[in-house]
Parts: sequence; C-alpha cells; structure tokens
Amino acid sequence: MAHVTSGPGIFAQIRLVAELRWRVQRNLIRNRNSRLDLFGMIWAALFASVFVIGLCWLFWWGAYFSVSTGHFGWLLLLFWGICLFWQAFPIFIAGFGAPFEFRTLLRFPMRFSAFYIIGLAYGLADFAAICGSCWLLSVAIGVGSAKLSLVAPVLLVIVLLIWMNITLERLLSSWLERLLARRRTRELLFGLFILLSVSAQFLRPAIIHYSEGARASVSALRFVSYLSPFPPSLAGSAVIAADEGRAVQFLVSVGALLIYIVILSGLLWRRFSAQYRGEELSEASAPVQAATKLSSAVEQQKSDPLRLFSPQIAAILTKEFKYLVRNGFVLISLLMPPLLVLLFSSQFAGKHPSVIHTRITSDSFFPGMMGYLILMLMTPAYNCFAYEGKGIRNYYTAPIRFRDVLLAKNLMYAAILFFEIAMATMLLSIRIGLPSSPVLVATILALVFAVAGQFAIADWVSLSFPRKLEYGSMRGQRGSGVSIWIAFGVQILLAGICTMILFTGRWTGNPWLPAEAFAALAAASLGGYFAALDALSVVAEKKKEILIETLSK
Amino acid sequence: MNEPAILTENLTRAFGALTAVDGINLSVTAGQFFGFLGPNGAGKSTTIKMLTGLLAPTSGRIRLLGMDFAVDPVEVKRQIGVVPEGMGLFERLTGAEYLNFVGRMYGLDRETSKRRSDELLHFMQLDDRPKSVIADYSHGMQKKLALAAAVIHGPRILFLDEPFEGVDALAAGSLKALLARMTERGVTIFLTSHVLEIVERLCSHVAIIHKGRLVAQGSLDELRAGISADDSGPRTLEQIFLSIVGQGGGTHSQLEELSWLT
Repeated sequence: MAHVTSGPGIFAQIRLVAELRWRVQRNLIRNRNSRLDLFGMIWAALFASVFVIGLCWLFWWGAYFSVSTGHFGWLLLLFWGICLFWQAFPIFIAGFGAPFEFRTLLRFPMRFSAFYIIGLAYGLADFAAICGSCWLLSVAIGVGSAKLSLVAPVLLVIVLLIWMNITLERLLSSWLERLLARRRTRELLFGLFILLSVSAQFLRPAIIHYSEGARASVSALRFVSYLSPFPPSLAGSAVIAADEGRAVQFLVSVGALLIYIVILSGLLWRRFSAQYRGEELSEASAPVQAATKLSSAVEQQKSDPLRLFSPQIAAILTKEFKYLVRNGFVLISLLMPPLLVLLFSSQFAGKHPSVIHTRITSDSFFPGMMGYLILMLMTPAYNCFAYEGKGIRNYYTAPIRFRDVLLAKNLMYAAILFFEIAMATMLLSIRIGLPSSPVLVATILALVFAVAGQFAIADWVSLSFPRKLEYGSMRGQRGSGVSIWIAFGVQILLAGICTMILFTGRWTGNPWLPAEAFAALAAASLGGYFAALDALSVVAEKKKEILIETLSK
Repeated sequence: MNEPAILTENLTRAFGALTAVDGINLSVTAGQFFGFLGPNGAGKSTTIKMLTGLLAPTSGRIRLLGMDFAVDPVEVKRQIGVVPEGMGLFERLTGAEYLNFVGRMYGLDRETSKRRSDELLHFMQLDDRPKSVIADYSHGMQKKLALAAAVIHGPRILFLDEPFEGVDALAAGSLKALLARMTERGVTIFLTSHVLEIVERLCSHVAIIHKGRLVAQGSLDELRAGISADDSGPRTLEQIFLSIVGQGGGTHSQLEELSWLT
C-alpha cells in the first residue's frame, strides 16, 4: 500500500481509458459471429461516411459560394444548421437507451480534472460531434478557398465553435442522463421522436393540399437575423467582421463566443462535480404497493383464451404478450405501419397524390404496401430470442421440444402481423379503396407464402446468429450483422418472386393466375415450415451453448 | 431395481483444448441430499449444466432415475427441477407470472399452476410485491423465486447451483427446512455451494471435483474415515476439503510472496 504515494497523471489516466475502450471493442469481435458482424458494421460505416463526406462537400461549396459572392447570410445559416444537428441528434439518440456510464470509472483514484477531460473527450467521440467537426472544418476550408485572408480568423472561430458545441452537448447530455435514468422517460422521448418524425412527413402533403402548391413564405434568412446573440450567429458575425476589416466587431464576436464557452464550462464543471461526488442515478422503481388480489373465484371465471394450445405453447404465448406490452419501444414501433400507410397513400395514391401527378392504382399500391409492411415487421423475427436474456435456459430445462418454443414465437409474430395488416387494409380501404378481388386474394395468399417461408429461415437465423437486445432500450440495439443481411436478402428474393408472379397475371391476361400460383406456393411454404420445425429443434440443441452464452451476457 | 437417481459414466466435457470435466463417474442414491464441491473452475457448474441438459457432454452417459438423458431428454426434464447458475429468470415478468409460466411449461394445468404459484410466493415471502417485475427484485428475492420455480412441478431430483448465495438468514432457514422435508419424501437433491458449513449441515453425501476429475465421493463419515487414518486427521468438511484439494502449506508460502500487502 505504501507504494501508492502518487496516482497516475491526468494524461496517463486518459490514455488508460482510451486503451480500455479499444480493448473492449477489440475483444467484442473475437468470436466468429462477431467477426461476421464486422462486415455489417463496415457497410454501415461506409454509408455513414458517404453521408458525412457528401455534406462536407456541400458545406464547403456553401461557404465558398457565400463568401465569394458576398452572401454572408448563407454562412450564418450553415453555422446554424451544423450546430442544431450537433445538439439535437444526441438528444434524440439518448432516448434510445442508457449512455455508456463513464462514471463507473469513479471507483478508481481519478482526479476531477481527468474526469472532466475524459467527459469532454466522450463528447468529441459522438457521431454528431464527428459530423459537426468535419462540416465546420469544411466551412473553414470553403471560406479560406474563397478568401485566403480569412483563413486565420475563420479557423479561430471554428475552433471556438467546436469547443462551445462539445461543452454544450456534454452539458445537455449530462442533464438528460439524469432525466433518462428511468426507462419510462426514455420511452416517452422515443415516442415523441417517432411521432415528430412521422408528423413531419405529413407537413409537405398538408402544405400542398391547403396552399394549392404555393411556396411557403417563411424566410429562413430573415428568421436567422433575429438570432444574432447566439453562438452560430456570433461565429458568422465574426467572419463577416474579419472580411470587412472591422477588428473591434470581430473581437466583440469572438469575445462573446468565449463568454459562452466560459459560462457553459462552469455549468458543466458543476454538473460533473455532482457526478464526481457520487450522484446516484437509479433505474430501480419505487416500491410498489400491494395490489388488491382478485379472488380466486373471480380469477377462475375468466376464460382462458389460449385453451386451444398445449400448456407449454400457451405459457410461451402469454409470456411473449406480457413482454410485448411492457416494452414501450416495441409497442410504439407497432404504431408505425398504419401511420406509414396513411403517409404513402397521401403521397402516391388517392385522389390528390402529393409526390406524383398520376396516382398509383389500388391494384398496384395495395400489394406494394403489403410487401413494405412485411419488410418492416418481419425483421425482428430474425432475432426472435433477443429479449430472453438468461431466461433462455428455461426453454432448455423445461420438458418440451424446441419446436414448441419456435411455434409459439412464430404464432406471436403471426398474430402481430395479422393485426397490423388488418389495420393497414382497413385504412387503405378508407383512403383509396380495396383492390380488385383477384389482386386482393393473390396478395393475401402471397403474404401467407412470404411469411411462412420466412419463419423457417428466420428461426434458423435466430438460433445461429443470436444477439441480445436490452429490454426497453434502443441505443446500440441492432441484430447481428449476418442476420440483418440474410433477412434483407431473403426479403428481396421473395419480393422479386411475388412481383414476377403478379405481373405474369397481367401479361397473360388471366387475373386469377397469380392467386392460383400463390395458393400453391403458400401451401408448399406452410408444409415446408412445419416440416422444418423438427430439423430446427435439432439445430436448437446443437446451438444451445452459443445461444445461452450470447443471451446470458 | 435400486437404480441410482443420478448416475454418470465417464462423463466428459472439453472446450477446445481444455477438458473441464474429465470422465467422472457419479452415483447418487434416491432421496440423498448430495453436496458437490470443488474449488473455483473445478468443473462443478459444467457438470450440473450437463446433468440438467444445458450443455451437451463431449462423451460419457447420464442416467437420471434410470432414464438415459440422451434417449429421452423430455421425460427426464419432466422429473427434475433446476436452479441454474445465474438463475435464468425472465426479468420482465412479475414473480407470479414467472411461476405460472414455469408451471405451465412443465405441463401443469392453469388452476394448479396458479394455486401452487400463490402458495410458493407466500412461503417464500414474495407475495407483498405483486406488481413488481423480477428485474426490480433484490438478488436474494430472485434466488428464492428461482428455487420456487424449480419445485413448482414437484420434481424427483432437484439441482441447485449455489442456492443460498445472497439469501438472508431468515429465508435460508425456511429454505433449508423445505429442502430437508423434500428429501424425507424421497426427493434427491444435488447441491453445489462454496459455503462448506451449509453442505456439512445439510448433505449426507458429498463428492469433490478438482481440475475436472472426481477426487472423492461418499458419505461424510466415509470421507472422514478415509482422510483421518491417523487420529490427528481432519474432522470438519472444510478440513477434509482442504486436505484433498489444498496444496499442503501452499497458502502460507503464497502469502509470503505477497509480503508487500501487509
């Protein structure tokens, strides 16, 4: 003990934490499944890079255009756009789950200064921060390309703006952490996010509908002019002042930015010091009062809606239903399909489509919409044990064949699909009317074919490439990369087959031909599904170790 | 007749190059309270996982109540109850819902499952928080619930992996009484625990596994007799255990290596 006279320095501690994070990431891809996952991550990273780099180019061009033509107002807009994204994106993402708790590092002899710097460094590692920094640097390059004399002042302004954004983002995140410590609050925010996202999609059709195509009169530029005391406008003002050679104005703007940084840093310091002192954030719920018990007589009067099934299947269905209604994220996501049906029907079909001039007929729109719903709703079936956690062992210790577990899980998904498709069909019948009988029958049979066919594959993927998901959380919640790609491939293949068959009916002039073909395929698909269940039980037995290990982590 | 309740023949499990359980031959008579001991990493949990169907053996045979696990796993599982390592609870169900679920999984009808759930929750003193999900239970409460789930179908063999870990003294007393009563009624209990006093007090027979091999098996008296050939020999289970798996005087010399600690 006597040797611990002085702790490691701040930078040594920061380096240790960085090493820790790296080792955690590296160890995560050690097993075969995780290495396969890496391909999925690389693809996602490629898409993200295209998004970031594409906007970098746009921001460079915007800054260059704005300075070289003297339209400095656009520069302010660019700063505002970047800063808003930087601050808003992490807030919504925070609603998807609990953040990494770097506060757990507090059990080590860490100085507050190291804790503060590591806290800030986490802010810089966020996706929004990386995007924001890249875009601001692109703006700086754009300004410098337009006027070489502005390179130094714009770089100073950009550095201050990045610093201010990181500090503000960490401050907001640390407050959100307090608010979002409870799962219900996270779910509420997620719900708000979903509703806002979907509502925003209705704005354009609404504007077009009520203004007969007239342009919105709100000028973003005019609006930004009212926001001059805020950091993005101050940054823009500083660049303008530098261009016009007004040194005092430049210093005032930069000074104001610095004041913002000092105030925000002070607030963040206070927030972090509360965490450093050991602020307790707990997910545990308050004690629950004992509820009045139903008398057993009343309880027994309630009929069992699942009495048609074996006790084991009924038990799993009951458990799945309770898990569904207690998982706010999943419940909210079930609202999406009907909302999207409404949205797409207003954009592409009905009497006044807002995106295209000629509406898509119900005979084409209805099958397309159903295919889209299946694409959305079937993906979770490819990781159907995601929320089992350690409970997965119950299926292996109980005296049941695994085919019953799979059957029960598939029945639950089928029930959800039935409900969602019935809702969507009802909405479509009100919005654009039902398709002709041959197309309606063909679509329903195609759904049976596609769903039953997918269940067998989805069960195999769920057993072979399981991924644990945190209940009631969405951050970092994605299935294994392999399962996502298999799901995608299967759905594209099935969509291709169904489209070909539907078009064959038109080409041959026989409207009932697709229905007949889909009836045969649906029968084969159902037969294949039931035949596969026993083989899948064998797979489940072979894969039980990896399944239990992965889900019990 | 008189087939052992639990019988393993050359039971082996390898993980790559590591042989966690190496050809063990266990024999547990029906109605015994059997303690399965070993140091950390000796192969206890691996053995219990194989005996309960959570892990496939690399080789060897398991017979429970005269039935071959490999031939009829479903029927075997119907006869056993398990409190596995880590408990394996569905944390987003309430205690009552979970017990109902397990009862139904073992084939009990709805009314029986409900009645037994209520009785077990009351016995385990878990009935005062009917709306709390298991995730909100304390560790000890989860242990009690896991034990309740293991017995809801009236098993003939009960496998318990560290059942008293985190359970308060009051509840532990009730549980021990419950388990003792079950053995009186002919239930075989196979228990692992690191608390040797508990094993000594509850178990009539003990086996010790060390580095994947069975190094001792028999009644406590047989083990005492085997070890204490000379009169000054060990008497308590802890002493027996240390003399079998400990490395004579090793702890002392290891402590000397850590002299900087004191």
